[in-house]
Amino acid sequence: MATSSSSSSSEAVTERRGIPGAQFVEDVQTYLTQTGFDVNSALAFLQERLQQYKLVEMKLQAQQRELQAKIPDIEKCLDVVATLQAKKGTGEALITDFEVSEGIYSRASIEDTDSVCLWLGANVMLEYSCEEATALLRRNLDNAKASLEVLLADLQFLRDQVTITQVTIARVYNWDVHQRRLRQASPSAKDS
Amino acid sequence: MQQGGGSETEVTWEDQQNINKFGRLNNRFHELEDEIKIAKESNDNLEDAGNELILTDEEVVRFQIGEVFAHVPKEEVENRIEALKEVTCKNLEKLEEEKESILAQMAELKQILYGKFKDSINLEED
Repeated sequence: MATSSSSSSSEAVTERRGIPGAQFVEDVQTYLTQTGFDVNSALAFLQERLQQYKLVEMKLQAQQRELQAKIPDIEKCLDVVATLQAKKGTGEALITDFEVSEGIYSRASIEDTDSVCLWLGANVMLEYSCEEATALLRRNLDNAKASLEVLLADLQFLRDQVTITQVTIARVYNWDVHQRRLRQASPSAKDS
Repeated sequence: MQQGGGSETEVTWEDQQNINKFGRLNNRFHELEDEIKIAKESNDNLEDAGNELILTDEEVVRFQIGEVFAHVPKEEVENRIEALKEVTCKNLEKLEEEKESILAQMAELKQILYGKFKDSINLEED
């Protein structure tokens, strides 16, 4: 679907991580002549592009929500490991109330420990020393935050392309209305 | 965006970039409003927790760490709550500042864009 454009300089990035860039239209007349579209086909093409962008946007937003839920979880884990480490020197056991089932809590006494078990997903749990656990969790947290940043940049790029496409649709439509007005005006001039 | 009545105002790349920027700022503005709401709620909760703490006469308080409630001496809980309140307060301030800055930038862009396009463009919330 890539249309070759030579004179209408699209100063925009042509694509980003699989998302096609929206070509900026300098002049509607030139755009229509170059692509060979008539007004309706151009509008149809642009509308379809808009739909595709919306689909990608929904996918990215779902990923964003996932990451935004994951990050506080990792931070909570880090908090717990830090608390266990802090208690280590004191010789006291850490008493906690934890949820056994919905609404039912039980008490646990956690003695001095050098290791914790981390849930890695896919029904796998591994035992780590407190230091290793902290390092692993921090790495995961950094990765998650970095992924989120890239994702947010992708979303921004996408929204820009959506805006450009919407503006182009409006301009093509307006150009068409303008052309119709000119055509209506000229026949009446000939009659007089 | 409202469709104009067939006017022939040219849209330059710079105009397009301004429109894009306005869109981005508007999105960020709404995100910020949500974040500010959450931060304010969090602050209120911490306030309430602090007040409850003063009223209680128990020595050991169940303090939520992660998914569990650890038995923590009252003093330590007070300190933790104070620390959390400071973090939330600072965060709230930062968010409010960003919001002000965004509103100012949006107002400026509105002036520029309405100046050039007048009725052909609509930058208000629907």
